[in-house]
Amino acid sequence: MTLAQDSSHPAVIPATTSDTTSSSALADAGVLELPDAPLPQNTQNPAPQANSQSQSQTQTQKPAPAPQTSHAPTLSDLGFAPGQAKPDAEMQARLNKRTHDLKVHQTLGLITAGPMCAAVILAGDAKAKRNRNDPNGPPIEPSSTSVDLHAALGATTATLYGFTAYYAIAAPKIPGVKPKGAIRLHRDLVWIHAPGMVLTPILGGLALSQENQGEKVHGIATAHSYVAWTTIAAYGASIVAVSWPIHLKFWEKK
Amino acid sequence: MKLAVALLLAVVPVGLHAQNQWTLVASTLTWHITHPMHEVAGTSHDAKGKGVCSNGGCDFLIAVPVKSFDSGDSNRDLHTIEVVRGAEFPMVMVRTHLAQASLGAPIIDADLEIQFAGQTVHYSHVPLHRTAHGNEVEITGTIPATCSDFKIERPSFLAVPIHNEIPITVDTTWQPM
Repeated sequence: MTLAQDSSHPAVIPATTSDTTSSSALADAGVLELPDAPLPQNTQNPAPQANSQSQSQTQTQKPAPAPQTSHAPTLSDLGFAPGQAKPDAEMQARLNKRTHDLKVHQTLGLITAGPMCAAVILAGDAKAKRNRNDPNGPPIEPSSTSVDLHAALGATTATLYGFTAYYAIAAPKIPGVKPKGAIRLHRDLVWIHAPGMVLTPILGGLALSQENQGEKVHGIATAHSYVAWTTIAAYGASIVAVSWPIHLKFWEKK
Repeated sequence: MKLAVALLLAVVPVGLHAQNQWTLVASTLTWHITHPMHEVAGTSHDAKGKGVCSNGGCDFLIAVPVKSFDSGDSNRDLHTIEVVRGAEFPMVMVRTHLAQASLGAPIIDADLEIQFAGQTVHYSHVPLHRTAHGNEVEITGTIPATCSDFKIERPSFLAVPIHNEIPITVDTTWQPM
């Protein structure tokens, strides 16, 4: 090391080939008059074995920067339980599948929020309204287009929600891991938005049926909008919960 | 001649025991990740380590199970294990060789070899701060690790990946054996 170095910024030699090339290019350009960067010292390891024999094998496959003596401690000297250091390809595959399924779950969940919001926004146009100038007169019926659009958005939301839920349920469970942290709230909120997502279209269908028969919406069908709002609130909270903690002022650099 | 052999046999074990050995008695290792909307840290206290000194040099090895890091969210921790291939490569191992004379300095200039996520990466001149507490020695420092060093595909949130830098702060307490 030829430079006086700030102790808080150590030299890093995980140099990849591209890093070395860029350093040399700078030196060639006369930007830096420094000695050549160290050779890349990034080595890919085979999957480790639980015994110390493979560790010493790994050592011989790469240029060791620091001389290791024959007395150098090995993993087996540290007293880990045999299973702790044992590679588990099956578990890795399980984790990979889990991540894949949950990424699809996340993507579908965010997509689902689109038609869900649209259905709520357009809900006002899909129900009969009182004439403000004639409150006792007959209600103004919604256009069939508005009703159909609202129903289509609701159906799309329910379908996408079903696929979203499928990927969360299908994701492999990891034995011995109990949900902890924000993911617990995310999971617990399912008990609100899942029944809501089933009830909302049923109640909407009932309300539509009553309106089509010329009746004023009555009975349990009147709860359609309340159930829908509760569902969307729980769904939104679920998205926020799994994203927590959020650094809201993300444009500020620390 | 018999006397010389007897003396040699007596001296060899004494010489072996004369090696200075250190053992890790407490540790706090923390990785830090940064995303425009998140700053998260995961901590492990499960590291084990040993140092063996002989012929003026000391070899240290610290190992910690990947799955022992806790960020406070089990979902994130499982995803971390997946992305760093922690089931395939379950241990993070840090090796260093130091001159025995340098162990007494307040700042130890260490060259570290780290095996993690199936890669072996070397970090040179990492400053480690040494503080003596009676019989024990506390070593603290920060390893300037990055995702690209270990060929870790950076996880993303809302299509924005985390920063490449994943500094690991180290706080270890050692005791002579």
